[in-house]
Amino acid sequence: MHPTTLMYTSSLLLMFAVLLYPLLVTFTSLPLNNDWASSHAKTAVKSAFLISLAPLSLFLSTGMEAVTSSWTWMVTTTLDITLSFKFDHYSIIFIPIALYVTWSILEFATWYMHSDPLMNRFFKYLLTFLVAMLILVSANNLFQLFIGWEGVGIMSFLLIGWWHGRADANTAALQAVLYNRVGDIGLILGMAWLATNVNSWDIQQMFILSKDLDMTLPLLGLILAATGKSAQFGLHPWLPAAMEGPTPVSALLHSSTMVVAGIFLLIRMSPLMENNQTALTLCLCLGALTTMFTATCALTQNDIKKIVAFSTSSQLGLMMVTIGLNQPQLAFLHICTHAFFKAMLFLCSGSVIHSLNDEQDIRKMGGLHHLAPFTSSCLTVGSLALTGAPFLAGFFSKDAIIEALNTSHVNAWALTLTLIATSFTAIYSLRVIFFVTMGTPRFLPLSPINENNPAVINPLKRLAWGSIFGGLLVMLNINLFKTPVLTMPAELKLAALAVSVLGLLTALELATLTSKQFKVTPLRTPHHFSTSLGFVPAIIHRQIPQLSLLLGQKIASQMVDQTWLEKTGPKAIANATTPLASATSNMQQGLIKTYLTLFLMTLVLVTLISAT
Amino acid sequence: MTPTHFTISSAFLLGMMGLAFHRTHLLSALLCLEAMMLALFIALSLWSLQLDATGCSTAPMLMLAFSACEASAGLALLVATARTHGTGHMQALNLLQC
Repeated sequence: MHPTTLMYTSSLLLMFAVLLYPLLVTFTSLPLNNDWASSHAKTAVKSAFLISLAPLSLFLSTGMEAVTSSWTWMVTTTLDITLSFKFDHYSIIFIPIALYVTWSILEFATWYMHSDPLMNRFFKYLLTFLVAMLILVSANNLFQLFIGWEGVGIMSFLLIGWWHGRADANTAALQAVLYNRVGDIGLILGMAWLATNVNSWDIQQMFILSKDLDMTLPLLGLILAATGKSAQFGLHPWLPAAMEGPTPVSALLHSSTMVVAGIFLLIRMSPLMENNQTALTLCLCLGALTTMFTATCALTQNDIKKIVAFSTSSQLGLMMVTIGLNQPQLAFLHICTHAFFKAMLFLCSGSVIHSLNDEQDIRKMGGLHHLAPFTSSCLTVGSLALTGAPFLAGFFSKDAIIEALNTSHVNAWALTLTLIATSFTAIYSLRVIFFVTMGTPRFLPLSPINENNPAVINPLKRLAWGSIFGGLLVMLNINLFKTPVLTMPAELKLAALAVSVLGLLTALELATLTSKQFKVTPLRTPHHFSTSLGFVPAIIHRQIPQLSLLLGQKIASQMVDQTWLEKTGPKAIANATTPLASATSNMQQGLIKTYLTLFLMTLVLVTLISAT
Repeated sequence: MTPTHFTISSAFLLGMMGLAFHRTHLLSALLCLEAMMLALFIALSLWSLQLDATGCSTAPMLMLAFSACEASAGLALLVATARTHGTGHMQALNLLQC
């Protein structure tokens, strides 16, 4: 084997071994020591991150990609499945970033979940999730990817419902599973079509063999899978509901790693989509709709985690737009930079929530700029990176996406929606910063505000470095596959920045208006639309089941019981003959003897008369 | 009329009078009903014999079958009456009398 390939493969093997060892230790019956979480789990992820830097540096210096096929899993007459790993640009760069973010989140979770008696189990679940995610990212065939896909789905369910005594957490976990399942149908459709038409689940074989085929159906299936997993519009309600899980879960799964799995699938399959205009347009419009809708919903939320969740959903929509522009690499870049600042935003929220004694409503926070300066600074840096402030991490990916959007021949509606969503990003980010860090405190005086624990400071510091320099580092070291359009009118070049600044100024104005009664009554209708999340949960989760149950009741009770059985069937006979019988019996009065005697008399008379 | 004709008619008429002028027991009415059926049976049997009409030879059997059904129905009603009203007397069946 070529030494580089040997290095790649052995690093991945070592990473899996390092990550699986703490899990296997828990399967023996020995009791775990108290700090298993920090001594074993976190150390394992840190070591895995350091190991993953080796393939990364090798890739950056040589640019070599590799595919490794090892153990043959199944051999059928038509389809072979082997264990194969793909070390390409996407997986080699994503794995270190995912491990870096996970390391920070695990260290934070040792502080956040400190008072939880089942903390070791929590870390076990997080490690299992990480292993499943790595399987998904490094998979070279769809079967292995599906294993990772299902793995992250089930761990998401277990982790969202971590506080399972709470009914809302259970319904949120169920929502996540159901919506992901609908997406899985799309993935299985794609896999089945590919297995029957292209006869392979290997990525390389699929790309070559599908050049002349009409790929619309499997691509629609894959887009459905991405819609489910990455919470695009239509299958999106599970992502805000998933905030019922603990903050480390939200930071790891529902911002950086799991929800990008759908987008990652589309990025991996992008050569299949290049020539299919239907699929590209669908991605574009779906992504634009998602990013706009969720940004609108984020504007009026009051729970800090829900705002960040909708922000995640909006950025996922932006990634989908990028795929629709036929720029998968820019979407991947956005995945990488987004991981940094979104995880940091969630960790800052977690720090704030714990500091204010589990208060999550931003209307009850304030003035944390003086009381928790480090957390507030990280929150600000993360929000600036999110809005694409020049030369922070988000700028390199987000600005590139918007420039590509502006200079390509796309749907103007999608373009408009994306730009509006970008300005909304600035608005709700400012809203978070304004309500959490600025102004005067609106929480109880004796709140345990303490950010002096190194388990809080170090992760936030690491992720802050990532949010500031991550974009620059990634951009400097990669080669862009598609040449970007570098010349454009100044208005288009500055469009992203202009709409963000416009949004920021609008938000500042609106925020300072809260203390002056400019309008006596606010505009109810748009506010209700935004606060009720576009009425989507109300309609789909409540109205439609209610209609179905009503229909069922009508069929069972009215149609079958009352109409068929009572009015026209068995009881109809009873209901019809009872009046007849009672009428007849009312007419007959008894006196049988009299009647029979009269009858006999008449008979005798008739006989005698007719005889003569 | 022939003696046979007269005998059968008078037997039938006597049975009918017994049915009409019943006094106390329901069972006596049923017995008279049976007597009527018997007279009719004999009439039908003698019909085919006297007139040499072999085509209606089966009529007495049919008649007997139906009379058996009717007799059993009548007895069932008697038993039901005895169960619900306690006696078999006709004056117990006065529910519809005004």
